[in-house]
Amino acid sequence: MQKDISLIGIGQTKFGEWWSKSLPALIEEATDAAIASAPCSALDIDFIVVANMLGEAMSGQAHLGAIASSLLPHRPPAVRVEAACASGSIAMHTACALLESGRAETVLVVGAEKMTDSSSDEIASALMGAADSEKDAPSGLTFPGIFGLIAKRYMYDFNLTRERLNLVSARHHANAVNNPFAQFRQQMTPQQIGASTIVADPLRLLDCSPVSDGAAACLLSTKHRSDIRIAGSQTSTDTVSITDRPIITSFGATKDATQRALDEANISTSDIAHLELHDCFSIAALIALEDLGFAEPGEGIQWYEQEQSMTVNQSGGLKACGHPVAATGIKQIIDVSKQLQASGRRYGLAHNFGGAGATCCVHILHHSPEHATT
Amino acid sequence: MRLPDSPAVAARAIRNRKERMLPGTLLSFTIITHPPKGFSDRPHRIGLIELSDGQRVLGALTGIGEPVIGQVVLPRMHLSRVNEAGLRLYDIAYEMTERIAQPKIEMQKFPGYILAFTGPSGVGKTTVSLLLTKMLGDFTAKVPIVTSRAPKDGDDQEYEYVSQKEFDRLEKSDALVAWTHLPSDSEQRCYGYRKSDIETIWEQGKLPVVVTEMHLLRSLAAHFGRRSILSFGLLPPGASKRTMLSHLLHRMRARGRETDAQIEERLINAQADLDFFTRASHLFDHILVNEDLDSVLQVIKGHVLALSEA
Repeated sequence: MQKDISLIGIGQTKFGEWWSKSLPALIEEATDAAIASAPCSALDIDFIVVANMLGEAMSGQAHLGAIASSLLPHRPPAVRVEAACASGSIAMHTACALLESGRAETVLVVGAEKMTDSSSDEIASALMGAADSEKDAPSGLTFPGIFGLIAKRYMYDFNLTRERLNLVSARHHANAVNNPFAQFRQQMTPQQIGASTIVADPLRLLDCSPVSDGAAACLLSTKHRSDIRIAGSQTSTDTVSITDRPIITSFGATKDATQRALDEANISTSDIAHLELHDCFSIAALIALEDLGFAEPGEGIQWYEQEQSMTVNQSGGLKACGHPVAATGIKQIIDVSKQLQASGRRYGLAHNFGGAGATCCVHILHHSPEHATT
Repeated sequence: MRLPDSPAVAARAIRNRKERMLPGTLLSFTIITHPPKGFSDRPHRIGLIELSDGQRVLGALTGIGEPVIGQVVLPRMHLSRVNEAGLRLYDIAYEMTERIAQPKIEMQKFPGYILAFTGPSGVGKTTVSLLLTKMLGDFTAKVPIVTSRAPKDGDDQEYEYVSQKEFDRLEKSDALVAWTHLPSDSEQRCYGYRKSDIETIWEQGKLPVVVTEMHLLRSLAAHFGRRSILSFGLLPPGASKRTMLSHLLHRMRARGRETDAQIEERLINAQADLDFFTRASHLFDHILVNEDLDSVLQVIKGHVLALSEA
C-alpha cells in the first residue's frame, strides 16, 4: 500500500428480511453504527464510496452516492461502484485508491442491498445481470445453474461426493450461531443439507446463499489510526461468461488477486489466521480455498473435515450470515477485523468475488495494537 | 429486469446461430428445478458444451435419460421460451445421443492426450517408459525434462540441461507448461516440460509420454485439464509402506546413480510420493504395482492402443 490506511470504524445491520426498512434506511443504519464506533466525528468524512448492485432492479433507485451523502450534515462528495457480488470489496479498493492518491483522508465505504421486496423470479433474473446476458442467460440459466455446472464438473473431475460437500454449509451454519448479525443462527446437520430441495442439480437449497437485505459500513483513514491496517488490497478480473474459459473448476481472478495481495502485504498464506471467503454456493468455498493457495486442486474439502489453526468463515459466511450482495465484501472486512482483535493474531484475509469469479477482490488486514498509538 | 429480447438482440442471436449449429461434447450439465419465467415450468436441463470447432456454448439439453459428461450432443431447433409479448422464441437445443465422445485429438482446445507415469525414485518409471517407447514407438514419444541441475553419470537421455538463468527465462516467458523446484540440500534442482516439445509430438500425431512426479503431474493437470492425462501411478512391490521403501532403497543402491546422501533424501521424498497416491487419488487413472515388468507393460500397452485407435 502506498499509504498507511487504518480501519477506524465499522458498523452493519443484521442481515435478513427487513420488510420495514428501505434501501436508504439500511445505508443510514450501517453508516451511523460505523461513525459511532470511530474515534472521529461524521464531519471528518471527506468522501463516500457506496457499493450496490440491484438498486435499480429491486428498488427503482439509482443515484445512491447522493443518497448516502445527504445522510451526513456536510454532504461530502460521493460515488457509487458496482461489480456484482464483488461490489463491496471493489468499493473498499476504490476507497484505498482515493486515500493513497491523497484525494481524501477519511472515507466512508458503505454497501447495501435490498433484495427481499421482490419475487424470487425477479431476483433470480436480476442476479443474472452478473453473468453474460447474450451468452449465458438465453439458455435459461440462473446463477445457481452456473454454479450447478461448476459443481457437477468439479465432482466429476475430483470424485467429490455429496456427503463430503454437505460439510461445507453445515460448518458455516454452526459458525453463524455465535454471530448476532447473521441471518440464520441455527445449526444444520450435514444430513439436513443433503436432504434439502434440489435447486440446480447437484446443488441443493442449503448449498446456496440466501436472498437478504442488509448493509455494512467501514471508515478508512490516513489521518486517524487504529490497531487494524489495510496491508493489501488487490483486484483482478476474468471473462464474464464461463463459456470463454478453458477450465471452470478454478477461478484465475482469485489466484491472481491473492498472489498480488500477498506480495503487497509481504506475507505468505501461512501467516493468515482468519479467512472470510466468498461461499455464494458451497462448491465456491472449496474452489476458493484451492485458488487462494490453502489447498491443492480437488482437496479444498479437507478444510471442512478437520479442525485447522486458520478459521474459515467464522461469521457464518455468505451461506448462514446472509448475502445482501454489495454489503458482503464490506461485512467480510468487518468480521476479519473483529476476529483479529478477539484472537490477538496478526493477519486476516477477505476474499470476495462477483459473477462466477469474473471480478475478484482480496483484502489483507494487519492487526497490531502498537499501530493505534505510534 | 428480464431477458434481453429487443429486435437488435434477436437479430444478433440469429446471426450467431449458424456458428452454434454444430455437434459437440457435454462438458458439464445442471438441472434447474424452477427455470426463469417464459421457459417450460418443468425442470430444465442445461449443458455446457464444447462444439466440434472448439467453441463452448450453453444450451438446453433434449432427449431421454440423465445427461452424462462426455456424451455427444447434436444441435436441433427447439422452442426455447415464450416472451412477455407472447412470442414463441426458438433457439438451438442440444439433443443427447447414446454415444460417449471418444478422445479425439483435434476436438480438444488443448489438442490431445498425455501419458504420465508417476512414482517414487527407483520404482522403475524410466525403464517402463523406455520399453514402452520401444514397443510403441509409432504411437508414443518421450517428452524431455528440462532441468537446471548439472548432468551426472547414470542419467539417460531423458534430461535437457539448461542454466538456471535460462530456466527462469523459459518459466517467465510461459514456455513451460509445468515446472517445479525440488528443494534439496545436496543440489539445486528445477524441472519442467516445454510447451513446444509437447506440441511437436502432438503434431506428429503421437502421444507424449512424461515420466514425472507429484508437483509436475499436478501442474500438468492444471494446465491441460485432468481429463487430458492418462495417468499411471507406479508402486513398488510390497504389502506395507515399509517393505515398499526397502525395495526402493535396494533398487537405488543397485543402479548406483546416486550418492548415499542423495539416496537418503530420495527416500524421504519417496515417502511423500507414496502418501500422495492415497491423498490425490483423483489424479490417477490406474495404479500399477511394478512387480512383474511384463504384465505392467501389457496393461499400459492395452490402454495406449485403445487411445490411439480412438
